[in-house]
Amino acid sequence: MYELYEFDWSSIPGALPFLWQGMVVSLEITFVAVVFGIVWGTALAIMRLSSVTPLSWFAAGYVNLFRSVPLVMVLLWFFLIIPHLLESLLGFPRGTDMRLGSAIAGFALFEAAYYSEIIRAGIQSVPKGQMAAANALGMNYRQAMQRVVLPQAFRNMVPLLLTQGIILFQDTSLVYVSALADFFGAAYKVGDRDGRLVEMLLFAGAVYFVICFAASQWVRHFQKKLKTA
Amino acid sequence: MISIDNVSKHYGSFQVLADCTTQVSKGEVIVVCGPSGSGKSTLIKCVNGLEPFQKGEITVNGVSVGDPKTNLSKLRSHVGMVFQNFELFPHMSIIDNLRIAQLKVLGRGMDEATEKGFKLLDRVGLRVQAEKYPGQLSGGQQQRVAIARALAMDPICMLFDEPTSALDPEMVNEVLDVMTELAKEGMTMMCVTHEMGFARRVANRVIFMDQGRIVEDDSKDAFFEHARSERAQQFLAKILHH
Amino acid sequence: MGYNWNWGVFLQPSATGGDTYLGWMFYGFKMTIALSLSAWMLALATGAVVGVLRTVPNKGLSGIARAYVELFRNIPLLVQLFLWYFVLPELLPTSLGNAYKQSNPLAQQFLASMVCLGLFTSARVAEQVRSGINSLPPGQKNAGLAMGFTLPQTYRFVMLPMAVRLIVPPLTSEFLNIFKNSAVCSTIGLLELAAQGRQLVDYTAQPYESFIAVTLAYLIINVVVMFSMRWVEERVRVPGYLGGK
Repeated sequence: MYELYEFDWSSIPGALPFLWQGMVVSLEITFVAVVFGIVWGTALAIMRLSSVTPLSWFAAGYVNLFRSVPLVMVLLWFFLIIPHLLESLLGFPRGTDMRLGSAIAGFALFEAAYYSEIIRAGIQSVPKGQMAAANALGMNYRQAMQRVVLPQAFRNMVPLLLTQGIILFQDTSLVYVSALADFFGAAYKVGDRDGRLVEMLLFAGAVYFVICFAASQWVRHFQKKLKTA
Repeated sequence: MISIDNVSKHYGSFQVLADCTTQVSKGEVIVVCGPSGSGKSTLIKCVNGLEPFQKGEITVNGVSVGDPKTNLSKLRSHVGMVFQNFELFPHMSIIDNLRIAQLKVLGRGMDEATEKGFKLLDRVGLRVQAEKYPGQLSGGQQQRVAIARALAMDPICMLFDEPTSALDPEMVNEVLDVMTELAKEGMTMMCVTHEMGFARRVANRVIFMDQGRIVEDDSKDAFFEHARSERAQQFLAKILHH
Repeated sequence: MGYNWNWGVFLQPSATGGDTYLGWMFYGFKMTIALSLSAWMLALATGAVVGVLRTVPNKGLSGIARAYVELFRNIPLLVQLFLWYFVLPELLPTSLGNAYKQSNPLAQQFLASMVCLGLFTSARVAEQVRSGINSLPPGQKNAGLAMGFTLPQTYRFVMLPMAVRLIVPPLTSEFLNIFKNSAVCSTIGLLELAAQGRQLVDYTAQPYESFIAVTLAYLIINVVVMFSMRWVEERVRVPGYLGGK
């Protein structure tokens, strides 16, 4: 009556290469989305703060829209709609596998909204006098932003940007909805195939925990060093 | 009333209090002074157990503060304390600030607590402010409320931890006046303060501390007329220039 | 590119009969609201307890609370959901596990989703509670203790009422997040808003209408949450008290 579950971890060793491939996919998505998210997020933040009304409205609309909808939904729609669009607009052959591409695009566009809010706060944390001082030295807006304001802003933001990167890495597991074999998808597939879902899901949870915990401890350490420096 | 016997305290290797010994008798007013970092605030917080100490003994009305078996909450409920930054509870109206501990700690009824609260607000001249919130009062008014709040518990003695040092100069006197009146009524008081005028007028004894030690413990007259230690003389000389 | 817009699709009877597609959307909307609100209650209650424990002087208790927060923060929500839904029933004693598996599937999905979302969010709520308590002036705790309050009374009457007021704005964003995160529960078959949106695509071949409708529904939720939290903020504002410092 009170039998407990008997664990069998034997399917893990053989599956390691496949799981590793999945991890590579997860890291790939994270990396591209972080880089693109920061670049596009910076552009959005500058637009949002600019005095050109249509630009700031566009940025505000973009950021608020993406921040109001669930990531799963965005990923699903990119998975369902982008291939359609590309096929009909650009004449891609039907059935091209664009899952990875559309997943990355979905992540990048979505996360850019979150990055832009972090970056906007960072830019606003730089005292206004800095921009004035740069202008007084004869720099134009672009030079002042690029040489004076942004470097200081990014220095303040690094820990937040890194933390957002960790969140993004966790979020990559959501590409499960597009049947893409990222680390989580790979673990799920192996568990499903071998009838060992319990072990594989626990294993996946443990791996995510170790990676994210270590990374967040590192960020905290880094933050302390930055504060004392 | 308060007996401090050989009390020492350290954070790691840093000695905050070193072998402090003194007594406060019933009805006595003691002023504790000294340069910043001399341990005077720490000493007064040891008296009601807000700061733990490693060595020595403190008793208040015969109850040992350091004894782990002592019910500290009960002891604190009749030792009034007034803080440098007033520490009124910002989310409660003034009258609620005076009532809350009467209700929840002493178990008084609402009517009794309210009556007591209003009586004490009258006494510090702030009855009209009863329904306001701490953030709407000036610093001096807040500190007077804080004194009334402590008195509402019918304390057997009062501890003052630099009660005027966070105040704008023009508000210092309204607080000192309340304290002076309290002293005249015979309240036992231990005051950490730099207000030497107050000490001259009201104190029975003055304690001077430096680097965690009680350097002088003298009657008021003896302290002001011929402080023995060089540090105390320097301190008195500096205070004059403020 | 020849897409045929057809907003009338929402009023058509659904493929399974008995309801319109609009009715489907509305069902999903209600499910999202019910799930998110119940998970939010769980998150607030658990998060408040854990957040308070993180600040107590007892090293053992604060350590346990910290471990709780780290555990729930460092595992992806989707993985947590699968652990609650697929793994936990297997690990229960057989009889209990079987009884659970034989219960109503919707109840299983809802319960797993609610517990998962609630505890996931509770770790974030706990962090806000902790930072709220830590941002109070340190003298407040001493003032409470000096009046004869016990430590629990000091939390109850002095520190928590102020800390809760300070964290209303950051809690707003956690409250918004729980609605968005609830979409993850579509992966275990719970027919909430995002899942119904997807179903609509499969059944009607009108993906854009369905996409826009679901997005609008989430926007409405956002606006309502923001206004209601602003109302709460106004209600709990302390007269004469500016900022947290």
